[in-house]
Amino acid sequence: MLERKSDLFFSALVAGALLICLMFMDAAISQRLDREFVQERREVVRVLTLTDLCLFTEARYTRHPSMADLHTPFQDHPMSFDHFPSGAIMAVPPHLKRKAGTLQRWISDPRERQ
Amino acid sequence: MIRLQNVRKVFNADKANEFVAIEGVNLSIDSHGATVLKGPSGSGKTTLLSILGCMARPTSGRIMLKEREITSLPERFLTEVRRETFGIVFQQFNLIKGITALENVMLPAYPNGEKHASLKKRAMELLDLLNLIGKAFSKVEWLSGGEAQRIAIARALINNPAIIIADEPTAHLDTRLSREFMEIMRQLKKEGKTLLIASHDPIVYDSTVIDRIVEIRDGKIVSSGDIP
Amino acid sequence: MGAIEKQRNILDFTLSSLGRRKGKNIALVVVYTFVIFLLASVLFFTHSLKKEAFLILQDAPEMTVQRLLAGRQDLIPTHYIDTIRQIRGVQSVAPRLWGYYYDAMSGANYTLMVNAELNDRAGEIIIGNGVSMRSMSGKRNQALRRNDIIPFKTYDGSVLTLKVRGLLPFASELVTADLILVSEADFRKLFSIANDQATDLVLNVRNAKELSTIAAKITQIHPDTRPILREEILRTYDAVFDWRGGVIFMVLSGVFFAFIILAWDKATGLSAEEKREIGILKAIGWETSDILLMKFWEGSAVSMAAFFMGIFLAYLHIFLASSILFEPVLKGWSVLYPSFRLTPYISVYHIATLFFLTVIPYTVVTIVPSWRSATIDPDSVMRM
Repeated sequence: MLERKSDLFFSALVAGALLICLMFMDAAISQRLDREFVQERREVVRVLTLTDLCLFTEARYTRHPSMADLHTPFQDHPMSFDHFPSGAIMAVPPHLKRKAGTLQRWISDPRERQ
Repeated sequence: MIRLQNVRKVFNADKANEFVAIEGVNLSIDSHGATVLKGPSGSGKTTLLSILGCMARPTSGRIMLKEREITSLPERFLTEVRRETFGIVFQQFNLIKGITALENVMLPAYPNGEKHASLKKRAMELLDLLNLIGKAFSKVEWLSGGEAQRIAIARALINNPAIIIADEPTAHLDTRLSREFMEIMRQLKKEGKTLLIASHDPIVYDSTVIDRIVEIRDGKIVSSGDIP
Repeated sequence: MGAIEKQRNILDFTLSSLGRRKGKNIALVVVYTFVIFLLASVLFFTHSLKKEAFLILQDAPEMTVQRLLAGRQDLIPTHYIDTIRQIRGVQSVAPRLWGYYYDAMSGANYTLMVNAELNDRAGEIIIGNGVSMRSMSGKRNQALRRNDIIPFKTYDGSVLTLKVRGLLPFASELVTADLILVSEADFRKLFSIANDQATDLVLNVRNAKELSTIAAKITQIHPDTRPILREEILRTYDAVFDWRGGVIFMVLSGVFFAFIILAWDKATGLSAEEKREIGILKAIGWETSDILLMKFWEGSAVSMAAFFMGIFLAYLHIFLASSILFEPVLKGWSVLYPSFRLTPYISVYHIATLFFLTVIPYTVVTIVPSWRSATIDPDSVMRM
């Protein structure tokens, strides 16, 4: 059956594609199984009025990036945004990058939010 | 079968090292015969052989193959013509190392899109014919010189060409193997193949297989007579 | 039929040909697999984390109002609550009290937060799983349990001891690992915050469409405040791990381009042996396009093998092995790090992106440089 090398190659290709399909299936099953945990986390967030994921506890602006104000990262030193390794992995929250004075415009004009 | 008209081949044209390999060649090769191109090394016989075998284009002049002008064919068609009409045995055998003898024999037929099973069957038949069936699955670098040459012959025959071209086929063979080679050539001639051999080895041009000797010197044909 | 058979024939030869330089080609596939593995791991990790953040932060406060003082977030006076509550459309306004506590003993930062349920249970705390693992009680390597006593140093220098009442649910670790829930009285005592002040305010509105109008009104009434909408929180997590913006991706692109250069170098520097082989193939009747086809299959075989293996290994790494290789990077200097198993979210778009980013360039890079060798005259082997 697999006498030819090209047969072997195409079988490997099919196996690879199947593997990817399996990945998607596994992901779908896991998502279903994890649904109640997601619900539980969501409930915790609601009850405790949480705003952020607890991923990086090293600095204020990495522990609560969405709550950080523009100046927080610079409070120690102008260059300290990358002081912590996690600061280098994360991007700046988009609402902090709005230019000064645009907040009002942003709030009143939905088009500004794109 | 093949007719060359006033063929000239220049290498490195318009450069300081310009070199005229052959000049003013008119030659006609008939079907079913065995022709030897004879001449010292550097005389232009290899160049003439590659032009006859459609591997190189002449700088000027015309080539007619079965009354068809092929000089101006685009590469694709020329390759097709070459693949279908010519089987070539190189001086250095030029087998592809690292793969089996069988695969080497099958290689020229790959672009034809022939069914693998039937192609393999034909290749095995050829190997059988040349007493190489036991070596089919050996890597070519493990073969002896004589075996390697017979593989090269099998490879030249796989597309069932009308013309077999051999460039100095006995250069790397001892006397016994050279005679053996000529016996294979006799067999092929009997089957109706046209043979074109470039050689300056007496075993080749003195052989009774040969019908005609074309002598070349300094890129020009000196004599092109038939053997009486 | 003939065309397919031709492809397969040429592929047969390509694979035989690749098999000859086994060590070199296996090494190439291994390195390439590793590159794709890293890229895919980053994509899978960030995508799943973003998706997770998006799902669980759906119920974050609709609007948070901070007070800014001289460019810093400051405590907000609780009388702001009354004026904000009167804005039409505001359903409820509640103060939040939270802050950070640095524990010198374990070197960890904790997030302290007031929880109303503890207000009549002063002296008790509920802790997140990460906190319990980082023992504050001095007993190293021992998890905190219910009824353990933890000493806190208050801002006036005295010690406040609080008793662990319970642990936050295990499943919520991604959001609660460093949390310590305390009563309001204890929080104010600990940080000496006056009773008429809070950290920030959270509010609910009747109609989500009015959020921006209400935010505008709040900044009108209290120009020193800054409202943060839930939408912005969600967008934060979308942007924070955007793979195109991440430094990780930049670093990996560097690795990838280095690899492409390597591949290019390998392909351009066709050995004399390989060039001779191409010459032989041309002489025995292969066309230029057949040679390029062979190179195409060569590039495809190597990159497809690496692609499938890399993707699969990345999936195992991120979702079954808890991103073990990324841990040092993600932890950074954090003493406290949540242990969580990501729910796999993968998208066809990402798989396709990886495919076009890896398989296609590699294949092109194998074909293009062999173009020149492929066009050599078929008689060149005769002259060798």
